[in-house]
Amino acid sequence: MGQDILEITINSVKLILIFLMMVQAVPILVWLERRGSAFIQNRFGPNRVGPLGLVQLLADAVKFLTKEDFAPDKAVRSLFYAAPVFALIPATLAYAAIPMSTPISIAAFEAFGSTWGPYLFRVQGYEIGVGIVFILGVSSLAAYTILMAGWGSGSKFSLLGALRASAQVISYELALGLSIVGVIMMYGTFNLSEMIQAQQGPFQFSAFGYTIASTVDWIPNWGIFYQPIGFILFFAAAFAESNRLPFDLAEGEAELVAGFHTEYGGFKMLMFFIGEYGHMMIAAGLATTFFFGGYGIPGITAQELQQVIVGWGYADQTANILNAVLHFLMYNVKFAIFLWIFIHVRWTLPRFRYDQLMDLGWKTMLPWALANTILTAIVIYVVAA
Amino acid sequence: MTSAATSMPIGGIIFLAIFIAIFGTGLIFLARAIGGQRKNNSAAKRDVYECGIPGQEKKESKVSVKFYLTAILFILFDIEIIFMYPWAISFRDFISSGMGTPVLISMGVFVAVFIYGLWWEVKSRALEWD
Amino acid sequence: MTADAFLFWFLALITIGGASLVILMKNPIYSALALVFTMCGIAALFVTLDAFFVAGVQIIVYAGAVMVLFVMVLMLFDLKHEVEAFSKGRITGAIKLATAGLLAGLVMGAIFYSSTAVDTVITKQLAAASGDPSKQLGMRLFTQHIFAFEALGILLLVVAVGAVALARSKGGTHHDQR
Repeated sequence: MGQDILEITINSVKLILIFLMMVQAVPILVWLERRGSAFIQNRFGPNRVGPLGLVQLLADAVKFLTKEDFAPDKAVRSLFYAAPVFALIPATLAYAAIPMSTPISIAAFEAFGSTWGPYLFRVQGYEIGVGIVFILGVSSLAAYTILMAGWGSGSKFSLLGALRASAQVISYELALGLSIVGVIMMYGTFNLSEMIQAQQGPFQFSAFGYTIASTVDWIPNWGIFYQPIGFILFFAAAFAESNRLPFDLAEGEAELVAGFHTEYGGFKMLMFFIGEYGHMMIAAGLATTFFFGGYGIPGITAQELQQVIVGWGYADQTANILNAVLHFLMYNVKFAIFLWIFIHVRWTLPRFRYDQLMDLGWKTMLPWALANTILTAIVIYVVAA
Repeated sequence: MTSAATSMPIGGIIFLAIFIAIFGTGLIFLARAIGGQRKNNSAAKRDVYECGIPGQEKKESKVSVKFYLTAILFILFDIEIIFMYPWAISFRDFISSGMGTPVLISMGVFVAVFIYGLWWEVKSRALEWD
Repeated sequence: MTADAFLFWFLALITIGGASLVILMKNPIYSALALVFTMCGIAALFVTLDAFFVAGVQIIVYAGAVMVLFVMVLMLFDLKHEVEAFSKGRITGAIKLATAGLLAGLVMGAIFYSSTAVDTVITKQLAAASGDPSKQLGMRLFTQHIFAFEALGILLLVVAVGAVALARSKGGTHHDQR
């Protein structure tokens, strides 16, 4: 995790901060979801507690905390209590691998009688060489949370909900995994930072030995222009992976009460919520990274921006940090747009029926993802020849 | 720090996992301490959810074999997709080293088998839900 | 003890601990969950060997796919009778002993074989290798092991066909209209 005590400490604090960031983003998203749904359905939504109902989040958290801790008699208590804790782990582990800004380099300095550094701190939990494989693997562990909760509750509604949810999650994992093969092929790497590097600068690619570039600067070199089908498939599969409408079959109230968390209440329920929103954030972060240039700002590369900030009269060190802050803001803008799309879709589309859901996953999205892969391979082959 | 392609800070991952586990367990205990227990502790309350009538079925009821079939087919297709990843990552290198054609053809054969498998599953109605 | 050595012993300990839980737990569901834990530990051990892609695949395929099926099946069947049948009687005891002996022999054999045959060669190759190991894996897979790769595709197809055939054979839920 680092060479010396300072780097290890900062990296550990960074990991904890990312986790806390995810946890505190959930009440904001819940507020946004409730206000947004009210806006879409021509209602007011929560607007009593504090300005715009913003303090509602705090009230909700207190309410959740003061709820009685309850487990039904038939529940298998160890699994019943372990499931909500495990709901947090895969989502956070995967999200921590997504780069959120340019790395901050700190030059060597003297303190406490010894030389420290130089350091390179990345604005992400940890940099992983096989980033995509790691994220896919870790988030596939989320199926156990669902199964543990469903079986541990000892209720047939929970069990059925868990069964349907896990069958759905694994079905769409295929389409998800296949839809990014084209992306991997294009960038030739599993590493998310390298993918973002490849998307910096204006729109430009080489074909048949010629270089084709856009005449204007502000069209970025984003993956969406090369992989539109891949993006649509990825984003649709991500909805199913995070159990959101229109794929929230696990919680179809009319048939399954509340799916695998029927028996849960209070704070344990909230932890499932955090897990679900965590998967939504992973999907938003990955969509940004693969197809929308990650933290990149359209029209200007990270190096150019660094020069511009230095030109404003800041020292290299300060400019580097300012640069990272600006890129972090850009990342969050893209991230927030995707999260809003998630919320908007939830209140726009009706729910699928279970057989339609499975048909869509296996018979529509999987073949299309395959077609996208083959097409990408052939185009890359022909263009490079 | 090593180069990006060859790094995986396992220590950080384990640290984060353990931290969340402890944090989550702490939250559960905190909620338990603050929430407390109510006086009403009747059998009806402690029973699992049912729509107002006593629970009828056993928990271990029979479930459609479809779910297992879906899971098995998922494993198989997942392995095939995983095998495409090393191909996808090195495809450009193969092209630049002049080996693009044989690799494309060999992957084409693999994908053809994949497509035949998927087509067969659809045709044999193994993916029908009713 | 260096950090790497500590990491290895820590991971080895939790992996073996998980594996012991698999055989010591009475409830098969806990056994399966312990096996998931063991798989994750093995993936972490792969990482300490710099085999990042293999570690990811270990998690995706074993922990994320195969064990999901196991856990799903175990949770849906009432295995009490089977558990009783396998935990009593003289014959099962003999089978257990024989299995344990076979497994111990296998593990010992593997250790002896690997210690004599593999180590010198492998370390030399690793030292010579450079660049992205995932790319090297791809290169190796599509040059030296291309036949095995294609054969694997056929094998997976055969397994898929077999699974569907098995699911249908005893009625299943198919209403065969043909």
